[in-house]
Amino acid sequence: MRPEGRLTPPPPSSSGLREFSEQTEVGGIFLQALMRRQLRLSLGVAAVFFAFLAAQPLLSTLWKPWTRWDVAGVPVTWVVLGVLSYPLLVWLGRHYVRRAEEVDEEFTDLLR
Amino acid sequence: MSPSVAAVLGLVAMALISILAGLFARRYSRTTSDFMVAARAVPPRINAAAISGEYLSAASFLGVAGLVMQFGYDVLWYPVGYAAGYLLLLLFVAGPLRRFGAYTIPDFAEGRFDSPRFRRLAVVLVLVIGFFYALPQMKAAGLTVETASGLPYWVGVVAVAVVVVTAVTGGGMRGITLVQSLQFAAKIFAISLPAFLLLLHFGGPGTPFATARGQLVRLPASTTYRVTRGELWQLPRATSLDVEGEALVLWSREDPVRAPGAVTAEVGDTPAPSSPVRGSRHLLLFGQQRIPAGTLVWGGNATVLLPNGQPAPFGSATPAATNNSWSAPFGPLAGGSGHPLLFTYSLILAIVLGTIGLPHILVRFYTNPDARAARRTALLVLVLLGAFYIWPPVFGALGRALDPSLYGNNLTDAVVLVLPSLLGGWLGQLLLAVVAAGAFAAFTSTLSGLLVSLAGALGHDVYGRWLRPAASPHRRRVAFQLAAVGAGGVAAALGLMVSQFDISVLVGWAFAIAASSFFPLLVLGIWWPRLTTRAAALGVALGGGTATLAIVTTMVATLSPQVEDFLARSSGLAVILAQPAIVTVPLAFTTMVLGSLLRPGPPAGVAAKLVQLHAPELLGLRSDYIPE
Repeated sequence: MRPEGRLTPPPPSSSGLREFSEQTEVGGIFLQALMRRQLRLSLGVAAVFFAFLAAQPLLSTLWKPWTRWDVAGVPVTWVVLGVLSYPLLVWLGRHYVRRAEEVDEEFTDLLR
Repeated sequence: MSPSVAAVLGLVAMALISILAGLFARRYSRTTSDFMVAARAVPPRINAAAISGEYLSAASFLGVAGLVMQFGYDVLWYPVGYAAGYLLLLLFVAGPLRRFGAYTIPDFAEGRFDSPRFRRLAVVLVLVIGFFYALPQMKAAGLTVETASGLPYWVGVVAVAVVVVTAVTGGGMRGITLVQSLQFAAKIFAISLPAFLLLLHFGGPGTPFATARGQLVRLPASTTYRVTRGELWQLPRATSLDVEGEALVLWSREDPVRAPGAVTAEVGDTPAPSSPVRGSRHLLLFGQQRIPAGTLVWGGNATVLLPNGQPAPFGSATPAATNNSWSAPFGPLAGGSGHPLLFTYSLILAIVLGTIGLPHILVRFYTNPDARAARRTALLVLVLLGAFYIWPPVFGALGRALDPSLYGNNLTDAVVLVLPSLLGGWLGQLLLAVVAAGAFAAFTSTLSGLLVSLAGALGHDVYGRWLRPAASPHRRRVAFQLAAVGAGGVAAALGLMVSQFDISVLVGWAFAIAASSFFPLLVLGIWWPRLTTRAAALGVALGGGTATLAIVTTMVATLSPQVEDFLARSSGLAVILAQPAIVTVPLAFTTMVLGSLLRPGPPAGVAAKLVQLHAPELLGLRSDYIPE
């Protein structure tokens, strides 16, 4: 349980991988590119859900009529926030996991 | 609340299952690695159930339903925010943190910045957040046992502490993972089945909204209240009541709907000569009487009968809102603040961001074999959380229509435990047992996760690093177990003192501290190479410190009239102190960013750290923090 002795990479098998694991300047550029792609993906997915959340109070402020609509006796506002949020979360999560794995795989192929 | 044999049986059954599963897993928990990280071999499906089991605390199982019953639509942000926090965890933290191989947040703090001092700071915060989060679970334990069985509050607190400590010391992480995944199954069953049957029996999901809009809640059956001295009632309309014997009250004309919270008078043993509230007067009630709309404070203990169809009286905890404002956006919760849109946005932020910093949740990702599994686990957790969180609001909404007497008794937190018996007969009793077992699973699973974190911080860090760095793995394991017993005892002792705070308020505090300290540390530490050690530590200390200070001030204010008086005179300050995340999260972030930009100089070897955080495992560069 000691932090020393971590990060003991096996002998790199290709030049790209060596640049990367030894953190040369070229490796740094590779890493930056990877992080940027992953971060952009994460931020994009997060933005979609925050927009979905933020839009609801805004809509309730600017356009009251929608707060009076019903579905099967339940206000639409309750259904959208209390029920539909969850399938949307799962769908966004699944989209993210797929894309993130693709990015990782593309990056691995690039280095090999 | 009448004691119920069925509920007690449910509680006892769940306690036995938890203990037995923990002991069963002990046989398979041989190595330290088993004990601390379940040998990192937990398949995503089991791990996701365990995470969800740990995450769905008493606040989710009991608190959300109670808050929905009190405040309506605005509370839906809580369950959605809890689940959305998990999405953010998946997007920004889950994969990299697993790759980095940090077992706890202190491991991450030290590993990322090569600073043992930073680690100590992180350990202190883990302990603060862990104990804060343990309090509401203890309160829920006491409340559940009190409501369901009629035994005193402390019995529940002590019983839960014993069960949890046994499970944690017995099976370690591997045992807990098994117990928690079982407990998740118990919880989702216990919340969805009764809610579904209640909906079926009482006419579908439209029932709570079917009452005429704009109308006040009326009692569906004649109800007997037992009031105590000093208890406050808001009467939204003129109300007929029947007092057994006689009772002195202080009545005032303040309209509880139009001026919520306007009356804060108290009645002593003898009536005060000059009434503190304008337009208030003392009344002696006896027999059947009709009291005009207004607010009254009971001057002594009494038994009061309200015939059915009377407007339900509201206690001090819930504003007497109309059905219309309860079901619409910006009701009594957000609307009461004066800036409903701003209030709603700040609420969303605090809930969503707090999830990321909760130490016991993050530990879980290290039990995955790799980052790919960590991501898939987090995705599965989202599915399980969504399936759960649809149900608590159903209880809350049905509670308003079916048992509004909980408003007057200030017992809305218990709505999930009360409604099933309305189905009557053996079915009602059976469901009551199921719900009680589910509630027990809720607070024990969260508490056991917290206890693993607390005992890990105490045993692994305080003992294994500061006091006895040379201790053998066996000694460390004993230290972990002793720490678990100690932390469980302290949490139970603190739990006995918080019976007067709302479950969800207590949880909100733990979230606020986590959001203002560990959340910025993790997000910037993982994604921003220029973050310096000094700035990160300063941000964590400042954000976590101010949030804790604000919350402790609010707690002290509840106990000390002088401080409360001072806060009452400066309402803006009181709001920020009670819900500090909106100030302290940006404070921590700006400290970290500005500090790093003004005095650049990230720790040496930051490139290696970033490789470890972000390089896909397919490259084969990884090695683990805790050896096999």
